[in-house]
Amino acid sequence: MSDKKLKLPEVGQWPDKLVAPALIAGAVLSTVGFLMAFFYVAPVGGATVNGAELIGDVMVSQKMLLSQKIFYFHMPVAITSFIALGFGCYYAVRFLMTKNQRFDTCSRICLEIALLFVALTMITGEMWTRFEWGVWWSWEPRLTTYLILMLIVIAYFVLRSSVDEPERRGTFAAVVTIIATIDVPICFMITRLIPSSIHPVVLREGGMSPEMGLCVGLCALGMLCVGFVLYRARFNQVRLTQRVEALKETLDDERA
Amino acid sequence: MQRADVGCSDRASSTANETVQWTVSQSEDCLSESEYRAADRGEVRSSLCKAPSTWTQCKTLLGKDLKAEFRTKDMIVSMGIYAFLVIVVFGVALSFARPGSEFLEVSGGLLWALVVFTSLLGLNRSFAKETENGCLEGLLLAPLDRGVIFLAKATANLVFLLVVEVVAVPLYWVFFSSFAAPADTGWLLVVPLLLGSVGIAGIGTMLSTITAATRGKDVMLALLFVPVVFPLLYACVSATTCALVGGDVFADGFATSLALAGGYDVIMILASWVLYDFVVN
Amino acid sequence: MNPILADIYSTILPSAPYIIAAYALLWVALLVYVLVVFRGTKKAEAQLMLLEEAVADRAAKGE
Repeated sequence: MSDKKLKLPEVGQWPDKLVAPALIAGAVLSTVGFLMAFFYVAPVGGATVNGAELIGDVMVSQKMLLSQKIFYFHMPVAITSFIALGFGCYYAVRFLMTKNQRFDTCSRICLEIALLFVALTMITGEMWTRFEWGVWWSWEPRLTTYLILMLIVIAYFVLRSSVDEPERRGTFAAVVTIIATIDVPICFMITRLIPSSIHPVVLREGGMSPEMGLCVGLCALGMLCVGFVLYRARFNQVRLTQRVEALKETLDDERA
Repeated sequence: MQRADVGCSDRASSTANETVQWTVSQSEDCLSESEYRAADRGEVRSSLCKAPSTWTQCKTLLGKDLKAEFRTKDMIVSMGIYAFLVIVVFGVALSFARPGSEFLEVSGGLLWALVVFTSLLGLNRSFAKETENGCLEGLLLAPLDRGVIFLAKATANLVFLLVVEVVAVPLYWVFFSSFAAPADTGWLLVVPLLLGSVGIAGIGTMLSTITAATRGKDVMLALLFVPVVFPLLYACVSATTCALVGGDVFADGFATSLALAGGYDVIMILASWVLYDFVVN
Repeated sequence: MNPILADIYSTILPSAPYIIAAYALLWVALLVYVLVVFRGTKKAEAQLMLLEEAVADRAAKGE
């Protein structure tokens, strides 16, 4: 590479200064988002009922859907998982270019966060699916894509655990990360563009009202902050463990 | 039996060595006499030693794989037998199904299940052979672009897969044609089969190279291969079903599915080709 | 309660368990991850302390 000394991500660099504000922002924003979701944003209407009734000062002629409230956290969590995967891919590319183990560590932690948030997306989505459609699983494009993403990330960690040599493990892991990042959007596009005749695509479009958008935006910001804090905390821990291991080895060598 | 096996693998490895030598010797073949003389006079030799073209390299490597396979025939035979057994299992699974036109909607999917399982078996073995007799080291020592190795290996896998499909797909129809007759457009399933096989061979070669160096290769390959190839599979099943059912369904989805499958092939093969450099070292 | 109003609110009570479960599981999962990270950090710090002691011991012996 270039002569310029490679700048490695390390504990105590500028991102660590952002951890405390991000933690506060994450806590505040997700609490505000949570409260807004239930008390500020009007519930979304579902199927039409016969007749109408005055509630507060609006005429309501549709069933109110409380289940839609899951959406206000479901979507932010999904966005966070994609962004984590994106950062994982970025670090994977850096690793392939420099072959420095630090980038492999960063990439691995990013994928860990991605796995956590994908699992959260699946959990919240699952609850919603179960109530809305009365089934635990339906092969809907978004669900399918997330299932595939989850499977690839799980395979990634199994792959890591089955290779011992660090450099080779890092390379394989980086390649799989890049392939996953390419594969997942394709998967979404293909399952979306080819309508399955057996399970019709359930569309719940109709746009978001400004309040809904605001609420989702706040929650998304909050979740991103939470994800960032978790990443830094995990990074701290992993770096500490690595340094302890390195120290142990030097001490052992000295003794020998 | 044991003896014969040893002989086979010996022959395979000798092919591998031949290839490496050949690649090296070819680079000298392409020098003309005057160039030799120039080289003798002590001029810069490296600039004259032109490597064989990428096409020749690829052809040589592919020839080596095919030659090794057609001497032993172990991969094609085992894949073929495996495909047949999968068909038998399908027969059991469908033994209580009522024949009818609904079967056409399922049969495309079943056909692809057959292809996926068979190709998994083939991919697992395709790289094991290279590492067993040290052929890979030879290949890596030769002055080759890694992308060429990928292309040759993927093409070899594609050829094996296609050979097995040529046998297995008609066999599938022999066994299950009593359920329902496909529409007139049924023969068009060749197109998704081809596109799907290209994609499977491409990304599969890449993944099998990765998993060949891990513990528990077979499971690892399946674990990575199935989710990664899922979009392609989805598109191909859709196209195959469209072709088999025919009519309005055919007009609706065939072209879209094929276009998407083709797009997946192009993107994934390009990605694998670029990334192969890192994987194989 | 009049029937129309009952119809309007009909899905709210049955869906409540799912919503509660979704939010609860969300935060529980995040909490579990935080705990895992926290414990890992604690362990690494404890090991670091041990190592420091070992180094100090050796330095004392060497003198």
